[in-house]
Amino acid sequence: MSPSKSEAVAEAPIVVRLEDVSKHFVVRKEKSLKERLVNFGRSRRHREDFYALRDVGFEIPVGQTVGLVGHNGSGKSTLLKVIGGIITPNAGVVERRGRIAALLELGAGFHPDLTGRENVYLNGSVLGLSRQQIDDFFNSIVDFSEIGDFIDTQVKFYSSGMYVRLAFAVAVHVDPDILLVDEVLAVGDEPFQRKCMAKIEEFQREGRTIILVSHSSGQIAEVCDRVIVLSHGHLVFDGDVEPGLQALADSFTNPAPTSTEEHA
Amino acid sequence: MTDIARRERAARISALPFERVETHRRGLFAGTRGSLSQLWKFRELLGLLVRRELKAKYKDSSLGFIWSFIKPIMLLLIYYFAIGQFLGAQRSIPMFGIFVFAGLVLWGLYSEILVGGTMSILQNAALIKKVSLPREIFPLASVGSAFVNFLFQAVVLAVAVVAFGQATATWDVFYAIPAVLIVLVYGTALASLLAALNVYLRDVQYLVDVAVLMLFWLSPIVYSYQMVASVIGGTWIESVYLANPITVAVLAFQRAVWLPGPATQTGLAELGVDPTTMYPADLDIRIIIMLAIGAVLVWLSHRIFLRLQGNFAQEI
Repeated sequence: MSPSKSEAVAEAPIVVRLEDVSKHFVVRKEKSLKERLVNFGRSRRHREDFYALRDVGFEIPVGQTVGLVGHNGSGKSTLLKVIGGIITPNAGVVERRGRIAALLELGAGFHPDLTGRENVYLNGSVLGLSRQQIDDFFNSIVDFSEIGDFIDTQVKFYSSGMYVRLAFAVAVHVDPDILLVDEVLAVGDEPFQRKCMAKIEEFQREGRTIILVSHSSGQIAEVCDRVIVLSHGHLVFDGDVEPGLQALADSFTNPAPTSTEEHA
Repeated sequence: MTDIARRERAARISALPFERVETHRRGLFAGTRGSLSQLWKFRELLGLLVRRELKAKYKDSSLGFIWSFIKPIMLLLIYYFAIGQFLGAQRSIPMFGIFVFAGLVLWGLYSEILVGGTMSILQNAALIKKVSLPREIFPLASVGSAFVNFLFQAVVLAVAVVAFGQATATWDVFYAIPAVLIVLVYGTALASLLAALNVYLRDVQYLVDVAVLMLFWLSPIVYSYQMVASVIGGTWIESVYLANPITVAVLAFQRAVWLPGPATQTGLAELGVDPTTMYPADLDIRIIIMLAIGAVLVWLSHRIFLRLQGNFAQEI
């Protein structure tokens, strides 16, 4: 990290703090109830702990755009969900403050049988907006989504593009302090993707914190000012973008199998 | 300009306290309090979810809400004719139609809460996997939508009571309130517990279907308490029978809407039956005890729910 950057970091308040966060899943080898009963007493032998995250810790100050990268199964999506409060870690401390919005999947919670309007209210409410706020933002949401008169049509008749546009429009109106983004920017046609990136840049200018999971090094290099590289649940690099992407490339060529621990 | 916005945001955030994501190490009561305040923040969403469930249920059907009346009315007709007329329950239970309908409406609330609540977490998998929410909201939304359906049917019941000239001015009407409360309290406790268990063991939903069938006959809905008492009165089996909270609720509900009716009273007098044998003598105390136990159960099942919900996102 360059000295000027760390200086800026020092004065900015922390929004997300993780300390020794671990998350493991129990992978049971026997699947049926019969097998479980038969092996009841010895069931320890038949389970395997899979560590999706192991002792991960870092702090993110206000206004930073952080890229979470790693190979498939490195734990980056799990980490994002832990930060978002969707998954509870087994150990460690997760602290955050400010309004958080997760763009993990656009239109999660859209109900196909309800109209666009009803879904805007439902989805906005899911993301933490009050009724009054949605009333205020409603026209702006419809404008941004370019849905027009279809807003009173049931969502199941929407094209997938309309669906995603409406969902994105709701999500960006949540006024988040922290925005969690998981690969969702890869959907939609090109003009829409450009619109998304423009919105992300606007968010950066407004000093919002963005945590982004992406497989696209180009996208990371374009928007992020910090990169966190995960490999097999371990944090292997945390710092500037260029060396970060180099570390990512290294983790592809040099997978570290020592870190996947199996409990016998 | 944006620089000012940035600084303002930074200043605002630096003033905020940190929110800790739970790792299940909180005290017994602190966790409950924290999650209740979370729940309060999302109360508007709860209302929207209830409305969504009601709206989506009969969307695109031309009869819409009328369907939610058709099922209980069908049941009423079946029980009225098959059991009231053919099996002759009518002869020992005057105004059998209102008697059965009162029980069916209350039972409908309970079974809808149980069946809908058990499925609630799985049905909202998309939201649970992707959005951070207090997950208790989903079983609660099932309770809410079941309650709204119940209110519609209760209106039909009230109309029937008035239409048959059974409305009387008596304090007993107020037994309806604790009756509904008991159902709501036990329904909420069981729904949230079963919803959480169902994530880990999908057999729960089928078990609930079977249990609901059986539990229906364990409460005096199509037969009267007096019939039960005449067979097992005074034995320990009767104590077990009365330990069922829904039985107590149904008895209280019948005492509110069916028993005070003039036709019921004259009918019972003609049969030479003392109206007070239609419910246990200590009904009031039973109601209070059931509500107290129910409140503890709600808290307990909420604790278990909180403990189990940490892995929902992966297990679904």
